[in-house]
Amino acid sequence: MSNINGKLYAMNAITPMKPWKTWILRLIFFLLWHIKSKQADLINLSFIQFARWVIIPRNRFPSLSSDQKQETLKYDYLLFFSNFNGTWNQYIDAFSDVLSDGLNLIWRWSEKFPGSVPVTGFKEYIARVQFDTDYYYTSYPQATANDTKAAHIVVAALDTLAAQAETQTPEQFQAAYLQFVLAAQANLGGLGEAPAVF
Amino acid sequence: MSNQNGSVYGLTFLCPILNDAAASPSHDLQIRNYLSKLDTGAGSPFAIAPGTHLARLAVMDDVIYVGSPAIEEHLQSKYLVFETNCDSDLEPYLRGLVGAVTSHIDAIWQHCTGYPGCADFSRLLAYMKACQITTSFFFAAVNNKTVPQTLVALQTQQAVAQFIASHQGMEPVQLQREFLDFIQWLRSQPPPAPGVGGPLRAIQTGGHNE
Repeated sequence: MSNINGKLYAMNAITPMKPWKTWILRLIFFLLWHIKSKQADLINLSFIQFARWVIIPRNRFPSLSSDQKQETLKYDYLLFFSNFNGTWNQYIDAFSDVLSDGLNLIWRWSEKFPGSVPVTGFKEYIARVQFDTDYYYTSYPQATANDTKAAHIVVAALDTLAAQAETQTPEQFQAAYLQFVLAAQANLGGLGEAPAVF
Repeated sequence: MSNQNGSVYGLTFLCPILNDAAASPSHDLQIRNYLSKLDTGAGSPFAIAPGTHLARLAVMDDVIYVGSPAIEEHLQSKYLVFETNCDSDLEPYLRGLVGAVTSHIDAIWQHCTGYPGCADFSRLLAYMKACQITTSFFFAAVNNKTVPQTLVALQTQQAVAQFIASHQGMEPVQLQREFLDFIQWLRSQPPPAPGVGGPLRAIQTGGHNE
């Protein structure tokens, strides 16, 4: 089991849904996808690098051989995969505090979902439906989601400064450099140790 | 609403694991055993092959019973879940993996039902397509940068911070000259290797509710 790599935690969860409810959730995902403003809280949480929900209809579990026993499920299933920075408790607390409406909208169609507030029942539910990761890889284990966002901002600002630098007078360059430092300074944090997560 | 967000792909696979009562240890345990010894740093198959931001493999033993009045039901097979966040769609991504780390793919997926091996790419592609589940909603914090671009950006960020700290109060002429030298040096640097630089951490469990 390896839920952690560097500053990232891999969470997997699976919840059962009555098949007729699946269609409602598909519609909700469709709307969430197309109305970008509805994703603002997810973006603003800023400690999720990638996350996804995957609906598996009960009759769509892959069947690869006649020797394989066919699944005989009554429920469709909702899989959730998240890659986040910080601890499990911090993540669930933040989800519950910031995204409670959105989470309820997505998970209320799953059986026995207690709601994301109060957080105690929500944590018990997530702990019950979570299953562990056996192998977890990240290309940049030293970086958080905020680090990667910040790094790309620095590169964009640096490219602009570098494109002008050769043709400017030293005084012009100094002024542009100062503006660059002012713009980039909030995005120059070091990639230090992650906070303890166990 | 698909497997793609910007230029990043979120691919999800559910591969049924062989259910052979005569196998000892069972195939799911053999997968877990192999994965537990697989390098998660620079020697990872996903670091050696191109284009993986993050990836995970998990053996899903069963669906989860959430309690009455829900119906208790069970899977007939265990499944290997493969979830990857990568820079290309299935075919080029899979071609990159096969081109770089065939032995690892075979060692893991040989325990899965219907796995054809890497030798015949078209059969492998058909197998992976049969195992693929369309992602319903895919979120990416940064959705327009490749793995090399992000690695270079992180390297650049650190170098710029050091440059700024060491060039405070410098005269304009010298500052401009040293900045141009710095840019030239920075652009001559090889991109950092993927999968390295993480905090040293002996324990990687990070279980539930901690």
